[in-house]
Amino acid sequence: MNIDERWKKVFWVLGSLLAAGLVAFLVVFFLRFEAGKTFIDEFFNGNTFRKSMPYVLRGLSLTVRLAVVSEVFILAVGLIIAMARISRLRVLRVLAVIYIDVIRGMPLLLQILIVYYGLAYLGFKLDPFVAGVAALTICYAAYEAEIFRAGIESIHKGQMEAARSLGMGYLQAMRHVVLPQAIRNVIPPLSNEFIALLKDTALLSVIALAEVTRRATEMMGKYYNVTPLVCAAICYLIITLPLMRLVQYLTKRLSAGE
Amino acid sequence: MDGAAGDVRAPLMGGVAEKAEGALRERGMDKEYMVEVIDLHKKFGFHEVLKGVNLRVKPSEVLVIVGPSGSGKSTLLRCINGLEHATSGHIYIEGVDITDHRVNINAVRQKVGIVFQSFNLFPHLTALRNVILAPVKVRKMDAAEAEEKALQLLERVGLRDKAHAYPAHLSGGQQQRVAIARSLAMDPDLMLFDEVTSALDPELVKEVLDVMKDLARSGMTMLVVTHEMGFAREVGDRLIFMDEGEIVEEGVPVEIFTNPRSPRARDFFSKILSHL
Repeated sequence: MNIDERWKKVFWVLGSLLAAGLVAFLVVFFLRFEAGKTFIDEFFNGNTFRKSMPYVLRGLSLTVRLAVVSEVFILAVGLIIAMARISRLRVLRVLAVIYIDVIRGMPLLLQILIVYYGLAYLGFKLDPFVAGVAALTICYAAYEAEIFRAGIESIHKGQMEAARSLGMGYLQAMRHVVLPQAIRNVIPPLSNEFIALLKDTALLSVIALAEVTRRATEMMGKYYNVTPLVCAAICYLIITLPLMRLVQYLTKRLSAGE
Repeated sequence: MDGAAGDVRAPLMGGVAEKAEGALRERGMDKEYMVEVIDLHKKFGFHEVLKGVNLRVKPSEVLVIVGPSGSGKSTLLRCINGLEHATSGHIYIEGVDITDHRVNINAVRQKVGIVFQSFNLFPHLTALRNVILAPVKVRKMDAAEAEEKALQLLERVGLRDKAHAYPAHLSGGQQQRVAIARSLAMDPDLMLFDEVTSALDPELVKEVLDVMKDLARSGMTMLVVTHEMGFAREVGDRLIFMDEGEIVEEGVPVEIFTNPRSPRARDFFSKILSHL
């Protein structure tokens, strides 16, 4: 016990010294050596930061709008596909499985290009925002359908039977008995999907949507400097870090409630 | 709701005598029996769980169904309210053949309550909301009216003070009594009880049986699958003993207890009654 305490102290001192040494080395490296100075200048250039940050930050509202609007459609479409996936009708089940597998087997970037440029070739010139939301919905609905399905299947079948035995129809029983319980279970995974979705809106920069990443790359080209990308990183983190904490909190609370 | 079910069944297809007999029933001319099961077979894959069950239950009768596990008792109950589809045979509930796919099974189920071994209360709703849900959503009953009725039913099962408790905060016996109240809220003509005390701690069995006795006294038609032989003797008007998917013996409970005719029934009762 006593010996343990003493060793702990020794490790503490050694650790602190090591950390201090590392910090000192980094400071010297970045401020005195040429390579270090270049790094700071490229990534954390105060001047560029001041000039580009407001422009990049303005893209954040579009990024959030894309994510939120898409999420609404994703939840609706995902739930419908999940219902088809567990339907008694074999046709619906097969169609749902094909959709889910095909979509999940393709890169999102490719789906975005297909929706935007592919439809343009057919003569449908979609607004980039609409095309972006459509592409994200098509892709994420497949993933969230599987989450919904798992949530619904996690509810004991006795719940459906009890509801049906009271005279409720299948959809009534789903809506009032099974789904309220299932949704509770899938809130954490769905929130994680939302965070992923928010980050994936960056891919929409390829169809000229002036969201965060697009604006950052524009500024990078303008100032020949990487700092705007750091601005973009900060923009995403402003949203995602609190969200991740929130998901963690929700997960804890929901599992504690059982 | 009866009318809706009747309309669906109105057109008759063939001219077979059996169907004509069915037609009489469908028009409500023969309501002598609450439940009539005719040559019911049920297979799960290659496994035949029910091998031709025939059964008639009169209104206000309490029929107790006993038998070893796997004898098809639960499956029989589940067929009677359509949770399982009969492989062949007919099941008439108040004259309506529920094996006919044109019958609106939801309408029939409102008349047939079932209480499960595992309670199956809705855990996201309070006791009161559990009872109210079906009357409001299925019967479109006015919310205030439904609530008043639900409170009366909870009173009847002795749980009015637990109206706002969630199932997780109720004991097994209390949950099962709420489940009974929930079924009664739809004003069923027939109640099915599927081993409702089997999952309960011994000291909680009585409170549930008392509710069921009260219900039997009030004239409810009941089909009760149970291992509670005391209840069967006291409340049961008739008892059927099932084994391997068929009804082996049928009669007054005490007579079957004391003088089982078939070897299978004798064997079964000697095993369970020795504990009494």
